[in-house]
Amino acid sequence: MAEHRRLRRFLLNTGVLLSIAWLLLMIVFAFFASFIAPYDPNAQNLAQPSAGISASHWLGTDDLGRDVLSRLIYGAQSSMQVTFETVGLALVLALIIGLVAGFRGGRIDYLLMRGADAGLAFPPLVLALAVVAVVGTSVNDVALALALVFAPGFARFIRGQTLAVKEESFVEASTSIGSSPLRIVIVRILPNVMTGLVVGIAIALGSALLAESGLAFLGLGPPPPAASWGAMVQEAYDTSLFTHPWAIVPAGLTIVLTVLAFNTIGDSLRDTISGSTIRSRRQRGVKRQRGITAVARPAQPAPADGDAVSQGDGHRALLEVRDLCIEFETDAGRVRVVDDVSFDVEAGKIVGLVGESGCGKTVSSLAVLRLLPSPPAQIVGGSIRFDGRDLLDMDFDELRKIRGQDIAMVFQDPLASLDPSFTVGYQLVEAIRLHEKLSRSAARDRAARLLESVHIPDPRQRLSAYPHQLSGGMRQRVMIAMALSCYPRLLIADEPTTALDVTVQAQIVQLLNELRESHDLAVLFVTHDLALISELSDEVTVMYAGQVVEHAATADLFARPLQPYTAALLAASPGIHGPGDRQALIAGQVPQAGQFPSGCRFHPRCAYAEEACRGEPILLTTAGPDRQSRCRRVDELSLPGVGSDVAARLGADAVGTP
Amino acid sequence: MGRLVLRRLLSIIPVLLIVSFAIFFLLALVPGDPAVTLAGGVTATPAEIARVRAELHLNEPLLVQYWHWLTGAVRGNLGTSLSSGQSVSQQIATRFPVTFGLVVASAIVSLFVGIPLGIVSGVRPGGSVDGGARTFSTLGLAVPSFWLAIILVAIFAVHWKIFPPTGYTSITSSFTGWLTDITLPAVTLGLLVGATLARQLRASLIDVLDTPYVRTAWAKGGTRRTVLFGHALKNASMPVVTIFGIQIGYLLGGAVIVEQIFALPGLGPYMLSGITDHDLPVVQGVAIVFVLFQMTMSLLVDISYGYLNPKVRVA
Repeated sequence: MAEHRRLRRFLLNTGVLLSIAWLLLMIVFAFFASFIAPYDPNAQNLAQPSAGISASHWLGTDDLGRDVLSRLIYGAQSSMQVTFETVGLALVLALIIGLVAGFRGGRIDYLLMRGADAGLAFPPLVLALAVVAVVGTSVNDVALALALVFAPGFARFIRGQTLAVKEESFVEASTSIGSSPLRIVIVRILPNVMTGLVVGIAIALGSALLAESGLAFLGLGPPPPAASWGAMVQEAYDTSLFTHPWAIVPAGLTIVLTVLAFNTIGDSLRDTISGSTIRSRRQRGVKRQRGITAVARPAQPAPADGDAVSQGDGHRALLEVRDLCIEFETDAGRVRVVDDVSFDVEAGKIVGLVGESGCGKTVSSLAVLRLLPSPPAQIVGGSIRFDGRDLLDMDFDELRKIRGQDIAMVFQDPLASLDPSFTVGYQLVEAIRLHEKLSRSAARDRAARLLESVHIPDPRQRLSAYPHQLSGGMRQRVMIAMALSCYPRLLIADEPTTALDVTVQAQIVQLLNELRESHDLAVLFVTHDLALISELSDEVTVMYAGQVVEHAATADLFARPLQPYTAALLAASPGIHGPGDRQALIAGQVPQAGQFPSGCRFHPRCAYAEEACRGEPILLTTAGPDRQSRCRRVDELSLPGVGSDVAARLGADAVGTP
Repeated sequence: MGRLVLRRLLSIIPVLLIVSFAIFFLLALVPGDPAVTLAGGVTATPAEIARVRAELHLNEPLLVQYWHWLTGAVRGNLGTSLSSGQSVSQQIATRFPVTFGLVVASAIVSLFVGIPLGIVSGVRPGGSVDGGARTFSTLGLAVPSFWLAIILVAIFAVHWKIFPPTGYTSITSSFTGWLTDITLPAVTLGLLVGATLARQLRASLIDVLDTPYVRTAWAKGGTRRTVLFGHALKNASMPVVTIFGIQIGYLLGGAVIVEQIFALPGLGPYMLSGITDHDLPVVQGVAIVFVLFQMTMSLLVDISYGYLNPKVRVA
């Protein structure tokens, strides 16, 4: 179904339609030139040389009075024939070489591939010239010469695909059943290879036409007076450049349009096969800006007291996120990914932001420093106050000074998040010197001390290492060291331990705890790992389907969840219950943004849902001191939590100490 | 890094052997007896023909002939032109600087065109500059070099008379003269290769700007300059370097055509005359020099790739 739709979109693309129409026209010209062409292409009319456009000669005449349109139509014969013959021949050659090399392997593979290397060692046109020098310049000779140019590249590709397909289980299975190798090649490998080749073929057709017309231009095409597009350009250049320069246009333009048609089809096929959407469509409506998320919110009322999360005593938290709304531009239109999210992080406190993947917690955490790319993201409502200043009011330069300096981030995948082409030292020094006027060597000294503070051995040597040379745990420590390089007041850590093994996880958690103590560091810790949270955080905010569904102090939340989703998360968490305890998976999946159910967004998966839960949206309500819950039945339900004794024990488990 | 260079150098040898073998045998298949031609054509006496044949080892088996040609080539002797009787190596030596200059000048033009365009359109895809840049790149892939060359001649040499339509001044005799003569040919090839570079740089910048490490660079408080030109550009330039290496082949082939159009006395016209005159030593010699040229350039490209990509360097 999806493929059907993609094919439809491909065919409905105006450029593709025009290209197909143009190529069909050229092919019709090639086959039926003698019926279509108004004149004999070689009929000279010396009374009318180099005539302009007229009713009798639509594209004028050349220096010998021959009709240009007729010559173009006849030229399609040799040009199209050479083009298609070249690519066809190249494919046959390449299929034989590539399949044999890939399937047989060993010495045959080595020899064939060195042969392909040799072919690729030639400048393409020079190879074609050398072959033409030997075989001649008839249509078939030129096609053979050009096929030799294109075959090595195709052969390499086919060999690679064959090797990949060979590894796949179905070919192994076929071999073990006893199918003959040839059968396997034809039935199994060929279709796989061909799909990948389609784009290459379209592009090669364009290149073949360019090469063919180049040879014809050099006089190495069908001998005169036969018409060919390249030769027509050459004739016009030789005879009319100074007198009738427009004469070079018709044949040249025909070549350009035809190559353009092949390339357009190739490019669109590539997009269709890779499934990449047309970017311009998705970007409509959001102004592109680099390095900062776009904000488009309605005029902001003065922050009202009595907010759901506010302390009500005028006290301000270090970070106050209020009613944050984030939308993404998608193919299906705008979808709201984060909806009215509010939470606080106090200085020196660790706050957990938890939920399953796709609940909006990572998006919310990236939004704080406005790191979501625009397009597709746009912040459409709410405020993010840091130290009283709204980050959403700032321009790039103001925000830049806060990034890394006051608020720092640690990301989930340290290998992907560190720049692979710079040394660890370079990246650390850069982080420091972006905010502090420090000499390179002083910054390097501090970088080494930072690495030491996150317990990296041999910090000086490590500075000149590249990220890929370090272990996963080491990389994450580098990330943390980099985040700490300017002694920030708030650290936002997005699943910082997910990619790491348990021992390293425990060390990182311990490190964060140390830093909280020593630097009064506030941490927003984004994770789906409740066991980790129970050990680390002071407060927890639970998110589901883009909304905050519960907020509480950690101990309260674990002891007595007030929202069925939280209870379900607790029940499903590995490591929270004692060994041998059963884990109850939450049935169903997080709904995708834009497809949230009506009423309570959790109701389809909720064990306690009633008919009324499906109706009106549920509000986040105060459910005790410093507690909120988004549940209609918050007062009537008594949800299972984790006993305090268990909580204490799992605390020890979570850091991996017995 | 040194090891990488050494390994690449060693990998050239078998390929070069196959190439020389192919060139030699392919061209030896051409009908006609070079000894007759060299001895003076139809008027040559059998004694003269026999003497030439012995001189050129034409009586010996092909493999032995190949050996003679190969050992000669290694020592810098590519034989004698059948049509002019001149040493092929000497002709190539005088013509090579012309082609080399054209290729280098074209490469420089392509970088000056492709890199700024690629950056602007990659950083702001969908913008107005990007629209123009994409049209330019799309056309650059579809326009034949010879047609572009002629159009440039028609505009800048025939219509405005800013540059000469043909001709060549050696760089040693007059630099400005050389520059005037080389501009149109170099712009022709440079625009076309630049179009490809811009297209690739745009695509890889768009990819790179979406990566987590660029996000990290923003999160550190990076300025637009440090993020775009430091982190993004360095990483995005790697695939561009690869494409540039592939484009060198196109550049060399394009040089043949462009030299012919602008009457530059480089390797291209020499090879073409060799083909029309069935002058095999010339075709062989020029072809092998072109292959060597391309391999050297690709080696340089590989080395600069290794410089950009630490994973390759350390491996």
